[in-house]
Amino acid sequence: MCFKNLPIEFDAQGKPFLRAGVADPYAPSSAAPRGAPAQLTAERIEELLKRNGYIKDMDFDPVTRVAGALAFHTVVDFQARKVLEARSVATLFRGYEVIMIGRDPRDAIYITSRACGVCGGVHSVTSAMAIEMAIGCVPPPLGILIRNIALALEFLYDHPLHLHLLAGPDYSAAMVGPTNPSLLARARSTPAPHAEVHGFRTMGELMEDLNPLSGKLYLEALHMTRVAREAYVLICGKYPHPQTIVPGGMSSTITLTVMNEMYLRLSQFFDYSKKLAAIWDDLTEFFYAANPAYMQVGARRSNLIDSGIFDHPDAYDATYAGATAWGERRWATPGVIVDGQLVTTDLHALNIGVEEFVEHSYYEEWSGNGQQAHFPTDPVGNPLSPYHPWNKVTKPRPQGQSWKEKYTWDTAPRWDRQSMEAGAYARLWNTAVARKLPANPFIEATGTSLKLRLPKGALPELELEWHVPAVLNAFERNRARAYCTGFTALIAMNNWLAAMDRLKAGDTRTSTPFEIPKRGEQRGVGFWGAGRGYLTHHLTLDRGAVANYQILTPSTWNASPTDRWRQPGPYEEAVLNTPLLEETEDPKQFKGIDVLRAIRSFDPCMPCTTHIHSDAGVITREVNTCACGVDDAGT
Amino acid sequence: MRVIVAGVGYRNLRDHSIGVTVADRLGAHDWSEDVVVEDLSYNPIAVMQRLEDEPTDRRFERAVVVGAVERGNRPPGTVTAYRWDRVLPCDEEIQRAVTEAVTGVIALDNTLVVTCHFGGLPDDVVVIEVEPGVQEFGETFSDAVAPAVDRVCDLVVTMATDSQAAARLPRTPLGGARSPSAHAQT
Repeated sequence: MCFKNLPIEFDAQGKPFLRAGVADPYAPSSAAPRGAPAQLTAERIEELLKRNGYIKDMDFDPVTRVAGALAFHTVVDFQARKVLEARSVATLFRGYEVIMIGRDPRDAIYITSRACGVCGGVHSVTSAMAIEMAIGCVPPPLGILIRNIALALEFLYDHPLHLHLLAGPDYSAAMVGPTNPSLLARARSTPAPHAEVHGFRTMGELMEDLNPLSGKLYLEALHMTRVAREAYVLICGKYPHPQTIVPGGMSSTITLTVMNEMYLRLSQFFDYSKKLAAIWDDLTEFFYAANPAYMQVGARRSNLIDSGIFDHPDAYDATYAGATAWGERRWATPGVIVDGQLVTTDLHALNIGVEEFVEHSYYEEWSGNGQQAHFPTDPVGNPLSPYHPWNKVTKPRPQGQSWKEKYTWDTAPRWDRQSMEAGAYARLWNTAVARKLPANPFIEATGTSLKLRLPKGALPELELEWHVPAVLNAFERNRARAYCTGFTALIAMNNWLAAMDRLKAGDTRTSTPFEIPKRGEQRGVGFWGAGRGYLTHHLTLDRGAVANYQILTPSTWNASPTDRWRQPGPYEEAVLNTPLLEETEDPKQFKGIDVLRAIRSFDPCMPCTTHIHSDAGVITREVNTCACGVDDAGT
Repeated sequence: MRVIVAGVGYRNLRDHSIGVTVADRLGAHDWSEDVVVEDLSYNPIAVMQRLEDEPTDRRFERAVVVGAVERGNRPPGTVTAYRWDRVLPCDEEIQRAVTEAVTGVIALDNTLVVTCHFGGLPDDVVVIEVEPGVQEFGETFSDAVAPAVDRVCDLVVTMATDSQAAARLPRTPLGGARSPSAHAQT
C-alpha cells in the first residue's frame, strides 16, 4: 500500500485498482495530503506585515548562481529570525511541449535537448526512450551500455560544476567572511579532518580555495568539466546537444580506440571523487559542529522521487509492461521515499501516482470540470488521474503575478498528492535502501548506505561510504552530490567493462532499425534522469505525429509552487524551515545567505539559455526577471 | 600574425545567426595559413580552453569576433566595429558570465568576458557587432540586416588581414563608444 492519499489499492497479485465507492477519485476538492505542511494564507501574511515592523518582504530576484531564471519571494521575521512565507517563481515560459505538437517524433530528440544548456543529452535520451516504447524498438546491448556511459559523463560534468562553481561559493571565505565572520575565524584554526585526501590543512584554507573565480577548487572544477565533456563528445559528437542519440540506441561507432580514449578521461574522476567526498564531509561536519542549527538550513520532509537510470542490457526491453522488471534492474534504482521510508521501486506505481496541478501557475486547467481524461488507464490497465502527464494539455496563460492566484510558470507536480523532491540524493537513497544493484566489484548497497570502492590513482584505493542522512538539508544535498560523483564514475566503470566485453566478443552493434508507424495511436514514456534527478517525457503519437508531449524535470518538482492544499513546493518548504543564522542585526545588511544555501542546494535549473517560444517571439536570453517569463522548470 | 576569426551566435535564429553565417561563409575564403576561421558558438569556458590549447609559440595574436548584439541604441542593421579595451566588469558580473557560460548561454559579450578573464583571449580583439532587427526562428535575415552581411564579411577580411586598418579602429568598451562619431559604424 504505497498510496495514502489517492484512492488506489492493490489486489492480491499487486495490481493497482481504484477503491470502490469513491464517486470522483481524483476530485481536486479532496482533503489535504496527510502530514503536509501548509503555507500561511496570503491574508494572514498581509496582516502580519502591517502589524509588525520587524516582519519584512525580502525578494531574491534573480537568484544568482543557478541555471536560468529563478526568483524567490520571502517574508522574513527578523526578530524570530525565521521565514514566514516562501514563494518560488519560475519567471520564463519555455514552450517545448507546445512546439512538439504535430511533429515527427524523431524531432523530439533534437528539440527537447535544447531545454537545457547543461544536460541536453538527458532530454535526447529520454525522448528516444519514449519513442522506443511507443513504437516497440529495443536497443542492442552495446547501445544500452554506451547510453549509460554517456549519461554518467554528463553527470561528471554536472556535479563538479554545481559543487564548486554554483553552490560552492556559498561556503567560501569570500562569502562566509562577510556573513558569519566568527565562523570564518573558527575555520582558520580548525584542522581539516581529511587533509591527507584533499590537501587543505585547515578549514579556512579549504574555504579560501572555494572562492569564486580565483579559488583552486573553482578552477579545478572548470578543468574537470572539460575532462567529462571531452569524453562525452567521443561517443555523442557534441556537448551539450548530442548528435548520436536515436530511438533504438546510439548511432556512434564504438571502437577500442574510442573506449580507451574515454577511459583515460573517466579514470581521472576516481581521485577527484575521493577529493570531493572529503571536502564536503569536512565542510558539512564543520558547520554542524560550529552550530547544530545548520542542520535545519534547507531541511524538509524526506519525500523523494527518482525514476531510476542506467539500464541493464539483459533487462531493458523498452516496454511499459516490462517497466517494473527492467526498472528494478537499473544501476540506480527507481523509487519513491515518503517521510524517509522507501514505499515503492515499481515504475508503474511511480508513474500512476504522478499528477500536475496549475492553481498557482500561469496555465489554464485542462481537466476537471467534468472533462473525460483521454487515457483513464496506463497501457497495462492501471488507473490514471486526469491530472497525469499522459492526460495533461499545456495551455499557457500569462497574467499578473499574485501570491493568492498565480505566480510562476512552473507547475505543481505531486506524487500521491505530496510534494516530492528530486536530486542526486534520491538516486543514492533509493539504491542504498532497495539493495537491488547488479552484482559488481565497486559498489555495494547495504540497506542504509552505499559503499563505493574507488580504484587507485595518484591517491590510494579508497572505500567511501555514503550514509542515508538523518535529516535532508542543504548540507546533505551537497554532500550526497559529492558522493554521487564517485557513484557515477563507478557505474561508468562497470558499464565500460561490460562494453569492452561486448567489443572483444565482436558485438559492435549499437542501434536497432525502426520505423515510425503511420497509423493508430501509440504511447510511450521515457523514465530517465538528469544530474539533478527525475526526468520523464510522456509522449502520445497519432498517425505518426506527436499528439501530446509532456516533460517533467527535476526542477519542475523542486521549484514547484504551493498547491491547491497550500502545501509548499520543495524549495519553498526548505526555505520556510531555514533559520537565519547570518551574523547581522540590520535587515539592510542582510544577504540571505542561509536562504540562498537552501535554494542552491537543490541545484536549480530553470534554463532560459536556449530558444524560447512564446506568442510574442523568441527569447534567447533572460537577463533579469519580471513575472513574464518557463512552463516547466528546467532540469 | 596569427589571427582567429570567430563567429558567435545561434543557428536558425534569423538576425541572431549573423556571426555563425559569417564564419560559415568565410570558412571558404582563401586565407593565408595564419588565419583560422571558426564558429565559437559554444560554452565560453570551452572556448577559453580551446584558445589555450594553441601551442605557446603559436598563440593567436588577434581575434576578430563577429556576432549580433542587441544594444538597443542603434538602428537594426547597424554594423559597429571596434577594438575592445579589455576592461572587465566587476567580479560579480564575471561570476554571472561564468554561470551563464557553464549553463549554456551563447552571447558575444559573455564569450569575450569569460575568455578574457581566464586569459585565453589574444591581446588584440576586434569586435564586429550587428544590431539585430528580429528575434525569431528562421534561416533568413530581416530586411534591415540582410544587406549588412556582405559588408560584414568584407570588414572581417580587412580586419583579419590588414593590421593598419585594425589599428585605426577606436579602442572602446564592449558595445563601442556611445558617440557614433567615436567608432566605426556603417
